[in-house]
Amino acid sequence: VADERAKDGQVPEVQAAARPAAHPKYPWPAKPVLLGTAVSRLDGPLKATGKAKYAYDIRRPGMLFAKILRSPYPHARLLSIDLSAAEKAPGVKAVLAWRETGGKEKVVYQGDEVAAVAATTEEQAHDAIRLIRMQYEPLPHLASVEQSLRPEAPNVFEGGNVKVGSAEENGDIAAGFKAAAHIVENTYNTQVITHTCLETHGCVCEWNGDQLTAWVSTQAVHGTREGFAKALDIPMNNVRVITEYMGGGFGSKFGPDVQGLICARLAKQANAPVHLMLDRKEEHLATGNRPSAYARVKAGVAADGTLTAFDAETWGTGGAGAGSGYPLPYIYQFPNRRRVHKDVYINAGQQRAMRAPGHPQGCFVTEVLMDELADRVRMDPVEFRMKNLPPEAPNAMWRSYFPIAAQMIGWEKRHPTGDPAPGPIKRGLGVAANRWGGAGRGTRAHCEINPDGTVVVRCGTQDIGTGTRTIVTMVAAETLGIPMDLVNAQIGDSNYPFSGGSGGSTTAASVSPAIRVTTGKARDALFARIAPQLGAAPEALSVADGRISVQASPSTGLGAGKTVGWRDACKMLGTEPVSVDGEWEAGLSASGTTGVQAADVEVDIETGVAKVKRIVCVQDMGLVVDMKTARTQIYGGIISCLNYALFEDRILDRNTAQMVNPDMEWYRIAGMSDIPQLDVRIMNQPERGVIGIGEPPAVSTAAAIANAVRNATGVTIRSLPLTPDRILTALERAGGTN
Amino acid sequence: LKAFAYVNAANEREALAALDAQRGRALPLAGGMDLLGLMKNYIVQPDRVVNIKSLDSTISVQGSGARIGAAVKLVELLEHQAFAKAYPAVVTAAGEVGTPQIRNSGTVGGNIMQRPRCWYFRNEEFPCLKKGGARCFAVDGENQYHAIFGGGPCHIVHPSSLAVPLVAYGAKFRAIGPNGEREIDAGEFFQLPADNLMGETVLRPNELLTHVILPPPGSVRSATYEVRFKQSHDWPLAFASVVMAMDGARVKTARVVMGAVAPIPWRAPAAEQALAGKTITEAVAAEAANAAVAGATPMTQNSYKVQVARTAVKRAILRAAGIQTV
Repeated sequence: VADERAKDGQVPEVQAAARPAAHPKYPWPAKPVLLGTAVSRLDGPLKATGKAKYAYDIRRPGMLFAKILRSPYPHARLLSIDLSAAEKAPGVKAVLAWRETGGKEKVVYQGDEVAAVAATTEEQAHDAIRLIRMQYEPLPHLASVEQSLRPEAPNVFEGGNVKVGSAEENGDIAAGFKAAAHIVENTYNTQVITHTCLETHGCVCEWNGDQLTAWVSTQAVHGTREGFAKALDIPMNNVRVITEYMGGGFGSKFGPDVQGLICARLAKQANAPVHLMLDRKEEHLATGNRPSAYARVKAGVAADGTLTAFDAETWGTGGAGAGSGYPLPYIYQFPNRRRVHKDVYINAGQQRAMRAPGHPQGCFVTEVLMDELADRVRMDPVEFRMKNLPPEAPNAMWRSYFPIAAQMIGWEKRHPTGDPAPGPIKRGLGVAANRWGGAGRGTRAHCEINPDGTVVVRCGTQDIGTGTRTIVTMVAAETLGIPMDLVNAQIGDSNYPFSGGSGGSTTAASVSPAIRVTTGKARDALFARIAPQLGAAPEALSVADGRISVQASPSTGLGAGKTVGWRDACKMLGTEPVSVDGEWEAGLSASGTTGVQAADVEVDIETGVAKVKRIVCVQDMGLVVDMKTARTQIYGGIISCLNYALFEDRILDRNTAQMVNPDMEWYRIAGMSDIPQLDVRIMNQPERGVIGIGEPPAVSTAAAIANAVRNATGVTIRSLPLTPDRILTALERAGGTN
Repeated sequence: LKAFAYVNAANEREALAALDAQRGRALPLAGGMDLLGLMKNYIVQPDRVVNIKSLDSTISVQGSGARIGAAVKLVELLEHQAFAKAYPAVVTAAGEVGTPQIRNSGTVGGNIMQRPRCWYFRNEEFPCLKKGGARCFAVDGENQYHAIFGGGPCHIVHPSSLAVPLVAYGAKFRAIGPNGEREIDAGEFFQLPADNLMGETVLRPNELLTHVILPPPGSVRSATYEVRFKQSHDWPLAFASVVMAMDGARVKTARVVMGAVAPIPWRAPAAEQALAGKTITEAVAAEAANAAVAGATPMTQNSYKVQVARTAVKRAILRAAGIQTV
């Protein structure tokens, strides 16, 4: 199991055994009461009424507001900085030069941090950073991969603008193409998109002597504590990170980040708590993105529809000096294949892990190619895919799921490529598959059963928005056999027992087993404490439905049929609660999810506007903990990938490398009216244990939509997003629908 | 957001007194849908903000036409049944504006007077022509949403949804200023960048739009058709308003005006001529639509907008004629 925070901040898939190891001490119940039922998220009302306090909402006595000055230049040397006017501005309490000037340091993208101000009001901080006088020496910049790849491009990045990776090769490429009856050669590409978390990045920092408390919008409270300690060179036990609620991270919020460190230093300097939350523009420029992907692909297929060869040159940009790798080909079996990837650097904000890193890109390229190959051999796209899938396994269930998705979307009514219906509105269907890891690993928890019957469960995980607090409560209540309202699930604090970051879809599979084991141990400890008072052996006790039952002793027959209510039983504890620590154990979670999605799309060929009418999703995730939050995670994933398909696009001005749409106006995100009917079929695999589901549903929607647009219009669009511009241009080039 | 003085104008006289002859010094605030964004992004930095919410916010629809106070909210216009019946092309356009929240706060006057959404204008990093800079960044930059008519040198598209049907209906705007009041033809109210680079209308900085006056509809057929990418909150890629004075089934005269294609609401005289004397059919509408976009001069990235505008014109004509379209 890989550590989820690799050195470049990427979150790789966490892979473990596809099936759990046998014989855990606290196995999942064969007949669960709560697990797998649909429970509304317990903190939903708090969030809907505004009572839930996010980092943004934290207000501390005497708190200041900070703003960061960022470079307007995509590439420049920092010559000098003059903070004097800002220091004298109304309300200003602290000013910080973040970089060394004098020509030593450079900024490498628009939005790179250079200085910061803390002031009494947010408006004063805004005004004051404009008074900081920076002198830059602008340097040549690269605004696109095309510019970076030009032979005459200026050498902007140390070690070159392009980093060529090693070739991956399997089988015999030449023989593979020789065996092909048809060869398809095309170039595909996907755009850069940003995470666009609804709650922006940032935190509130407060020092009490040398103790730092930070309320951070983060998907890793423990990782962020470590990040603060290392970067500020202070002991880890002097840092506490609190994230009671957070408004989305998607892979971009694993540490204190530059703004967290600036915030802590300003708070120290001003000797006051400081609030530093980024605005939407800063989010787009500087807090990560999904790299673009390009693939020049040559693929061969035999006359019977068997894939024979795949040869790809791929590239992409993760911004200034950051990688752009992605898996290719995706899922389908090409016996002979070769692939060379190169990272192309440009002067733009650096990529970060984003919801199933790499998979949406690999899925789009492969799945659009698959439809083109299917047409060459005149096979139905589903049948063609079935022929080229890996063998069925618990973590590779596509053979079973494709027919279900096809049935749900009404695949039998699908027309061949190009809707023959008259009029400008064309309808089409498309499919695409996905996979992901989602394994769990080391998480610790603490459980207290109080004499009044209430239960506290503490775990230093966090709820990235998926409903972690709810599943912690469900697992505890299930294990203890009590109602959920007796359980107080406390998460989001680095003072609680260790849990890893919420990345790689690992949270549910890490936290659920830890809570199962910990509350199982607590239950056993309770039994051991009260058994003497019940005149029974601890092993003779069991709990269900809020009552503890005593099983008749086989030798004496004593205690048969005796039951006692949970609260009465807990009273027997006297004044000392049950207090137990536990941790994740193997055997309760697994790795490897399978999904298939299908799209039903309508395209107006006179305007180029594509509207998604319906998305169907067939998805497994092992044992389902909460059917409702599982389903809503899938909805969220589909909607985010629909945005990838149609709307989102980080647009840099090709001349200045400055972003023209750092907002939520021209950086489009689906609203209510853009969200189609979503039909989700969750495939329960309780025997596998818990597997995370945050990422896989966000992988294949875009490819399914692209294939549906192709099926509707008869033209293939090999670039995302599927804008009216691209659709009209493709139709015009093709001379209309085919 | 630069600190500013705030004046609460109780009436037209107080509002005028608080305005300033120098551009940008004092700016009127109605719904604030546009002004606050401009201020927060430091695109405008007024010394004084003049609240004009208490100016006339009534709608009167009579045989002689309609008179709409500039402070009327878009939602009030949408809910006014007599107005909706008489001027459907305006109401359709108003209903497409922004979001319910924006329509609940945004005003008729604000919609007409809002500044362009051009991303080079709205982002401080770009010292564009409209901000007193040396060049239009759209010319060799990212111009996929920019103008396909108008000739520059600035290539914004006018952002108002209401302006287009108002020009089509032949509306007039009442404005007040230091020299009293004046009425201006909607068709002459908006100015091309070649005539006025720093603003978009003939109003001087110390003048204020107070009313929109519409002529009686008479026996016209009218409609607006908007093409947008997203169905929720988005700007139109292109749209069109058509007002046709009818003589039985035949079109006597027509006005065809396109939106989101030029720095001003863009009339299409060739399309108007193509409709005169005709009975509307799909073929007649298509022919007029072709005429409407015949003179388009797309930029490097936006030639697709010609097709989008063509479709908007065709569908607006068909919709006005009561012919089923998509």
